[in-house]
Amino acid sequence: MKKIRLLLVDDEPDFLTAYARRFKRRNVEITEAQSGQQAIDRVREGEFDVAILDVMMPEMNGLETLRRIKAIKPDLPVIILTGHADSGVLIEGMDMGAFDFLLKPVGTDELYFKVLDAVRSRRRGQP
Amino acid sequence: MKTALKTLFHFIHGNPEGKREAVEKFLNKSEEFRLLLAANGKALELMAEMTEAARSGHPSGITRVRAFSVMVASSVRQMIERLCRMAPGRYDALREVFNAIVQDMDQAFAGPPKGPLGPTVVRMADLRAIDLLETGSKVAMLGEIKAELGAVVPRGFAITASGFRLFMESTGLDDEINRLIQIHDGNSLEELTDLARSIRQAIDLAPMPEELETAVREQCARLGDVRLAVRSSALGEDSEQAGFAGQFATRLGVKPAQVTDAYREVVSSMYSATAMTYVRNRGLREDGMVMAAGCMEMINAVAGGVIYTRPPVGGDSDAVIVNAVPGLPCAVVDGSSMADSYSVDRETGRIRSRDIAEKEIRFILTSGGKVRKEKLYGGRELEPAVPDRDIERLAALALRIEEHFGHPQDIEWAKDRDGLIVILQCRPLTVCEDAPGPRSKPWSDDEESRGLAILSGCIPASPGAAAGYVVKVETEEDMFRFPDGAVLLARNARPQLSALLPRAAALVAEFGSSVGHLANVAREYAIPALIGAPGAVERLSGVGVITVNGSNGTIYLGRRKRMIQREARPTARVRTTDVGLALERVLRFITPLTLTDPESTEFRPEGCRSMHDITRFCHEKAVYEMFAQGDRPVSGARRLAGERAMQYWLVDIGGGTSADAGGPANSRRDITIEAVCSSPMRALWYGMMAVPWEGPPPPTMDGFMSVMTSAARNPALAAGVRNDMGERNYFIVGGRYCNLQSRFGFHFCTIEGFAGDDPNVNYALFQFKGGGASMDRRHLRSRLVAEILEKRGFIAEIREDALFARLEGVSRQAVEQAMAVLGYLLMHTRQIDMSMADPGMTVRYRERFEADIERLLEGLPNELREAGCAA
Repeated sequence: MKKIRLLLVDDEPDFLTAYARRFKRRNVEITEAQSGQQAIDRVREGEFDVAILDVMMPEMNGLETLRRIKAIKPDLPVIILTGHADSGVLIEGMDMGAFDFLLKPVGTDELYFKVLDAVRSRRRGQP
Repeated sequence: MKTALKTLFHFIHGNPEGKREAVEKFLNKSEEFRLLLAANGKALELMAEMTEAARSGHPSGITRVRAFSVMVASSVRQMIERLCRMAPGRYDALREVFNAIVQDMDQAFAGPPKGPLGPTVVRMADLRAIDLLETGSKVAMLGEIKAELGAVVPRGFAITASGFRLFMESTGLDDEINRLIQIHDGNSLEELTDLARSIRQAIDLAPMPEELETAVREQCARLGDVRLAVRSSALGEDSEQAGFAGQFATRLGVKPAQVTDAYREVVSSMYSATAMTYVRNRGLREDGMVMAAGCMEMINAVAGGVIYTRPPVGGDSDAVIVNAVPGLPCAVVDGSSMADSYSVDRETGRIRSRDIAEKEIRFILTSGGKVRKEKLYGGRELEPAVPDRDIERLAALALRIEEHFGHPQDIEWAKDRDGLIVILQCRPLTVCEDAPGPRSKPWSDDEESRGLAILSGCIPASPGAAAGYVVKVETEEDMFRFPDGAVLLARNARPQLSALLPRAAALVAEFGSSVGHLANVAREYAIPALIGAPGAVERLSGVGVITVNGSNGTIYLGRRKRMIQREARPTARVRTTDVGLALERVLRFITPLTLTDPESTEFRPEGCRSMHDITRFCHEKAVYEMFAQGDRPVSGARRLAGERAMQYWLVDIGGGTSADAGGPANSRRDITIEAVCSSPMRALWYGMMAVPWEGPPPPTMDGFMSVMTSAARNPALAAGVRNDMGERNYFIVGGRYCNLQSRFGFHFCTIEGFAGDDPNVNYALFQFKGGGASMDRRHLRSRLVAEILEKRGFIAEIREDALFARLEGVSRQAVEQAMAVLGYLLMHTRQIDMSMADPGMTVRYRERFEADIERLLEGLPNELREAGCAA
């Protein structure tokens, strides 16, 4: 099966490294971004099947990042993954078209299957 | 998978353009349906966990309550999104209903409203008891006794709750701490230590607000070149509900320039592993913790100690207990030294008895402001720390303080070089009201225990008797390894040990005093404790099970059942905790199910009152949109005819059944399995039917009970909630494609496969979740199924009881074989979780399954050759 191209956006390097390592073993090709702006640049430059997005980031927060990503690639599924149990962010994020909203900590398996769901759902949606 | 679907469509011959679109729409819809079912399962699972936490009375922190609430909301929102995509425009009203309920939920776990910020610091001289909401009771009470009773207290000032809020809010620390608590999932001491480290780091990195820094500097300038004690004075600390005894830091000998650093440390101590353990065990809200601090001039004490205006462990209630040590009083409080102890008559004010201890060390303040430990020698270790008349002065002052507050007090005092008595803190005292009274028989008459005492004459610190394996705790490592229900044996009664007390049967410490922090916490948890048990570590190490009698100060070998019974005290009254209350409040918007009748007029988005209602509504409507709606690519779901097939329905998305399927006589409602020509479906069905199922295995008794309890607990599994459509099992088939959504009792399962000629697009997929037995048995069952599948090339993943397995890039035959295996496992592994109690059972099942599967696969080619419309 084709590799899944995943964009992982988080300002915590430890978090990025840990998930990148676990996902690489699962046929997932990871591109990391450590800020909202970096994420937007990556989305402009490359093709991704799915993005995982943190919310609390300095400078540009996750919701603003999501808004801009959706403006560039409306059909890119974006999974919000955050340490803040904030229902306001949940509602706003889903209204903006996030694929799902998950709270850290999330097991690698659970996140991986969410990624598969997102990828599958998007591919189904295409002609 | 995209190419797989395209290939799938290539196999659907003779479809006019319109029909192909319909097929695609249907596939999209079924994908949304699949995701909706997954979210439904997740939501119900989370609700069940929250209900269980509320029932057990042990929710683990407000952060978890909030996280669970938001996760429920997320799953429910997911269902709404999926449903809205299945039927655009039809259910949009759900979003507003959802938003309104989420708002109610947020209100339910929000803390009390916060007023405007007040002054960040207040001078000690300006403080009164009523200021405790800003300064914590510890500091406010000192202000009160100075103003009202003329007691001498140290000069100084308080950093207020407003100062704390300013620090938290202006730096974003409050959000960050919540986030850290949220992402550190876990309750073990080890995980909490890790969390405490992260929070401490965040606090250290946060800049001190300019306003607070300036205010502190001004106060320090007023005090001159002194050394300060920076003491925790958390809001709620020292209250009768929660003592927090010794949980928080006090920094001694602080130079004026270092006050804010010391304050940081005090704030950090509120999030230490031991403090967090305490907060969680007590059901307090970690987001409600507010740390005020007292910054007070250090008293260069020649002696000091603690006064209890009533004996804390019961006994002679006419006495005031005064403890004294030479040097700074911290040696009494942290249990690092033995103390002189006096009993003073409340009526006459005279000393009734005295016990002068051998005091090995004292703490002194060096000229540089450091606190130093000093060894006592030359007979000084045996001298009383203060003369008798000081003891009587102290008792008299203590009684005035008790009278003023109208409650027994725990008072820390110091005597300075000029002989002045200074009160360092006072707080309400936890007294064991139901301490055992005088006994009819002296202890020596106890027949059961006679001759079994291994240590006697220890100082009772918390009454009652309990037994357990004795475990010595010296290092932090030992703390991590401490087993539940053991007797905690320690050299010193360090306050850090309080984190272990909720799990300990009893406490024995060689050094310390019955008036120290650890003794306080032991009494709060009603754990028998002996503190001041010389030689205990040597005498008790390795003796196995002992019984600790916290009333008579004796330790016995083995478990003295009758003594434990006789000493039994009524268990502490169960209080509904702050966190428990928040959980109950939020559950009112989550779990009640009011939408029960899909036929009623109330069954619409606006009728939803809870998250559970929305899940119910979405599920019902999704099933309707999926299977009962008119606009399907083929005329509709048809029932599989035949004795063993009655509970299965089939939807053909093109090319999955022969043209004359079912024959004209049966109209188009029924279809027989012979008319199915999708090879993955044929293989799957063959696997399901080839070996007759013997029925459910006889469950072991506890397995069965666990089914009953989970059915009773989980509202989604209650009979009234089931709906007919959801109970059905659906095959969705195409020429090379098959998808089965099934539900057997508590088991939810999806099987999907595509078997074409190009291996690159072929796959088989299996998802399986649920079961009635306990989680460990369900997990064992999933493990077993995963092992069997892995042997056949599947990649399998397990999360708790959920199993996901996929096989990809294999030949058509391999997919067909896989489908047959999946069919067999679907039918034969259901309910075996109930009897999966031991490893032997797993082995027997595995052997039988492997043998069945071997035989089954031999017959598969024949079966497929006979298929009515094989290619």
